[in-house]
Amino acid sequence: MRNFSELNPIAVSIYFFCVTGIAMFSSYPPFMAAAISGGILFFIARNGRKHIRSHFFFLILFIILAAANPLMSHNGVTVLFVMNDNPITLESLLYGLNSAAMIVGVLYWFRSFTQIMTSEKLLYITGALSPKLSLVISMALRYVPLFKNQSKKIKDSQTAMGLFSDDNIIDDIRGRMRIFSILITWALENGITTADSMAARGYGICRRTQMKRFSFRKGDILLLLSALTLTGITVAALGTGKLEFKFYPAVKYSTPDIYGIFGIIAYITLVLLPSIIEMEVGLKWKYLQLKI
Amino acid sequence: MEILAVKDLKFSYPACTYTALNGLSFTLDRGEFAVLCGATGSGKSTLLRMLKRELSPLGTKSGDIIYNGTPIDKLNDKVSASEIGFVMQDPEQQIVTDKVWHELAFGLENLSVPPADIARRVAEMASYFGIGSWYDKDISQLSGGQKQLLNLAAVLVMQPELLILDEPTAQLDPIAATDFIATIKRLNQDLGITIIIAEHRLEDVIPVCDRLLVVEKGSLIANGRPENVISDISKRKDIMYGMPAAARLYTALGGNSRSPLTVKEGRDYITTNYNNEKRTIKKEIVSNNANIALSFKDVYFRYDRNSPDILNGLTLDIKEGEIFCILGGNGSGKTTSVSAAAGILKSYSGAIKVFGKKLKEYKNRSLYKKCLALLPQDVTTVFLRNTVREELKDAGASANDLPYDISHLMDKHPYDLSGGEKQLVALAKVLASNPKLLLLDEPTKGMDAAVKQNIIHILSKLRNKGMTLVIVTHDVEFAAACADRCAMFFGGKIVSAGTPDSFFSQNSFYTTAISRMTRGFYDNAVTLSDAVELCRINGKKEAQNDSH
Repeated sequence: MRNFSELNPIAVSIYFFCVTGIAMFSSYPPFMAAAISGGILFFIARNGRKHIRSHFFFLILFIILAAANPLMSHNGVTVLFVMNDNPITLESLLYGLNSAAMIVGVLYWFRSFTQIMTSEKLLYITGALSPKLSLVISMALRYVPLFKNQSKKIKDSQTAMGLFSDDNIIDDIRGRMRIFSILITWALENGITTADSMAARGYGICRRTQMKRFSFRKGDILLLLSALTLTGITVAALGTGKLEFKFYPAVKYSTPDIYGIFGIIAYITLVLLPSIIEMEVGLKWKYLQLKI
Repeated sequence: MEILAVKDLKFSYPACTYTALNGLSFTLDRGEFAVLCGATGSGKSTLLRMLKRELSPLGTKSGDIIYNGTPIDKLNDKVSASEIGFVMQDPEQQIVTDKVWHELAFGLENLSVPPADIARRVAEMASYFGIGSWYDKDISQLSGGQKQLLNLAAVLVMQPELLILDEPTAQLDPIAATDFIATIKRLNQDLGITIIIAEHRLEDVIPVCDRLLVVEKGSLIANGRPENVISDISKRKDIMYGMPAAARLYTALGGNSRSPLTVKEGRDYITTNYNNEKRTIKKEIVSNNANIALSFKDVYFRYDRNSPDILNGLTLDIKEGEIFCILGGNGSGKTTSVSAAAGILKSYSGAIKVFGKKLKEYKNRSLYKKCLALLPQDVTTVFLRNTVREELKDAGASANDLPYDISHLMDKHPYDLSGGEKQLVALAKVLASNPKLLLLDEPTKGMDAAVKQNIIHILSKLRNKGMTLVIVTHDVEFAAACADRCAMFFGGKIVSAGTPDSFFSQNSFYTTAISRMTRGFYDNAVTLSDAVELCRINGKKEAQNDSH
């Protein structure tokens, strides 16, 4: 019984790529609606009332994106009104709403994705591709705080030694440049020791393996299979050509046939999958606690 | 059974006129714990690096190094990498990855051990070292002591037979260092790992070792049980500086057989051999009525709104022309207090005055001109140039005005200097602004005993010229030797202060080894010379001899 975020990172990332891939490469409005509502639902299911500011930011982004298209593009036959001698059309407004839903929806999914994918999980995934690449990323991640810390230390000791002799910007910039240049020297010097320490522990004498902190269990396989199957159905339905929606010159769509309906249901299920898992886990815990 | 044999090993670095190693020979038996000591630049590091093939420096080499019957050049790659473990000095720079668990797994991943085995061995090692609680942490969140323990664990996970350690505790505070040495001893006893360790801080390590090797100028000048070696080299004052206090006291009193090594043995030796009719020695008390150089009044500081106070109502006056040592454990706020005095950190309440003027009144950074200077803990942060010469020119310092000589270092890169040399060059740079108040943060970190003596000498010279020095240090022996007044920091404020004499004879744990050794027997023996004097005055007990 694991939360969605605790499932195997490979399964989780494949899931994310399926959801966002379909959202980005089809522009079928029902899919966009599903993607954005599923994205918001999942984000709220994970974070509750926290991150109100993100929601606010996404709302403003949505409005800007939706408004940008009718202001820029004047295609379409139904003129709503004329602004500065430019016609604002219904079609381009709808198109704007559709692409705004796509972008904001995908952003919501990525927001959850970055919350779930800690550096460790990313390393696990890159390690599955190439253990060397994974090591390079890991070393880079180590250097960032190290570099920052040393830079602050140098700045402090130089301040106390009067490097920044006057309180003015030019002097500050000059001082900072010198600190940066010595930081590079320091990093190179540091690198020699690190390289020694790597050699001492046998780096490069044979092919690297990688310690795996995640395994494929039943739940992971289930998630992976359902994500791939549902994506397959959706893509197949898109492939029949019945899920068409044209904005220009006038809105034109065909009623989806039985395959199309299957496709829509499949994508909606796909999008709701993580929220369902979170909810199921939550209910199970409540039930277990009642028993205790 | 011997695990390592070094035969007539000679080595010289390319383009170097002198030989770094000059025909060394010794053997180590399986399960031995050997300590390698010698002054900075005596060839300790070169020797240790020669023993680990992957780290052997480039140069001309002759002689043999034989590990388990095979010359190390002919060892299989995997055997060489895993069976000979090496831990270096700097805890930070040896670490390769960003997570604790990944660092532990790193060596095994290199040897292409199957993932399931890696997981098992890493888990085992984490449990043995008690790393469990920080297993998932980022390495940047660990303390120095934890980092060095991690480096040790990351080497041990490869199951070495021979463990080489090159000054592993030089960058640690005394408590972390003692823990580290205890861990090494445990490894030696529990797992039978053969250990060879180079150290400056010999107080903890000599009592637990089986063998002491002393190198000087690339040659081995002593090799044997520590108590015997100490009697052999008792005439060599420069080497004796670094030995445990009990051994120094013993040799200073003219002992020349089995030397005591621990505080307990030293105490036994004094109490059985010497009288204590006269328990105190007179020390002249210099009263200092000078003006106040630095004062803290009810100073509070915290890093974050929600974090605890680091300085918690600190009140302290430091007088002009004295050496004031601030002692205390990790995280007690010692370093924070000097950073606040130097204006790097801003206290949120209270007043800090430098020569009677509030810090705020020093406009336009005039505080750092001919007034106050801070020598930070990590002295590499002082350097910005490629040679010492440029460094000094930059600061406007002249090597001739210094109370010590660094002319032989002028054309070196500051990063290539040894710990002690770096400290001297950094001090030269700091002195260039002619400070009247000098703050020093851990000036003896990672230094050998002889260099430390030199620093003590230089600091008192500066004091005699009228400079006020505030020294933050962990090093109790150093404080006892050079301070005019000492203070103990705890919980963000001063809890006790006084002359070293009264300060250390009142403390029972946080005090010098000599004071612990003579506690209850003599009243105010703090330094070696005090104890020697008291023993001489009282004289030996009648009808007692050395071999008790």
